[in-house]
Amino acid sequence: MDEAGLDALFASARGAAAKPSDDFLARRVATAEAMQPAPVAAPVAPRRGGWMRLLGGWPALSGMAAATVAGFWIGVAPPAGLTTLAAEWTGQTVDVGLYGEDDLLAILEG
Amino acid sequence: MRDEQAEGSGVAAGSDDPEGRLLIAYAAGDPVAARQLVAALGPRAFGQALRMLSDRAEAEDVVQEALVRLWRIAPEWRSGEARVSTWLYRVTANLCTDRLRRRRGVALDAVDEPPDPTPGPAAVMQEASRTRALSDALAQLPERQAQAVTLRHLEGLSNPEIGAVMGISAEAVESLTARGKRALAAILAGRRAELGYDDD
Repeated sequence: MDEAGLDALFASARGAAAKPSDDFLARRVATAEAMQPAPVAAPVAPRRGGWMRLLGGWPALSGMAAATVAGFWIGVAPPAGLTTLAAEWTGQTVDVGLYGEDDLLAILEG
Repeated sequence: MRDEQAEGSGVAAGSDDPEGRLLIAYAAGDPVAARQLVAALGPRAFGQALRMLSDRAEAEDVVQEALVRLWRIAPEWRSGEARVSTWLYRVTANLCTDRLRRRRGVALDAVDEPPDPTPGPAAVMQEASRTRALSDALAQLPERQAQAVTLRHLEGLSNPEIGAVMGISAEAVESLTARGKRALAAILAGRRAELGYDDD
């Protein structure tokens, strides 16, 4: 067969009806859907209050707040006997004035 | 089985590969991506397979297998590495040449009439006989020649596009195509009248 005959043969093949049936395509869609991976869950944006849940929520926070207040109060007005107890544990205690050497009340009183 | 993913990456997709984006959406679970991909790729792959094999049942088998492979690799598909169309041309061509190889050893003259021909005028029968004769002649070619010839003369791809599909240079495509056409002409020598071209 010569070049022209071959080209005519190619043209015949290109022109042949080559459409798949709708049923065939529908079955390919069904297979694709059956093999499709599950949807990937989008990452949840952190909402306000996320840090609070991280710490344990309101119950944990109320306990932390109570501990903070108690610690501060013990620092300002240590209960009787605490200084003695600390001296026994550490060997010595040191008093540090919050306002330096000046007595503010004395200054106010003139 | 060839490892199509391991072969050349093909034409870079860049941002102009809507089917690549659809495939990534499919892998992410997009509920409409599967239907859109089948609508876009199914008829194209079927046409390629039917033109190579001249047998609807075999063409359907090839497309079914090619698409199953596509769904399997979807989770690993990366945008920009290859075009889905290039990948599918390659897989379909490989599956078709696998089937053509099985026809070897069957003499062209011993081939029956095309299976399940559409009833109709003699011209339709003649057309079916021609495409079947071409398909059987392609089966006698070395696989790479058969792929290059069909991608060039039946699918209408350019040499660079064929090179991307086959993982070879455009020059190598030219050489394969030329040798394939000469071999086809030799196989079909003397069948011009039989195939009805003397009447044209």
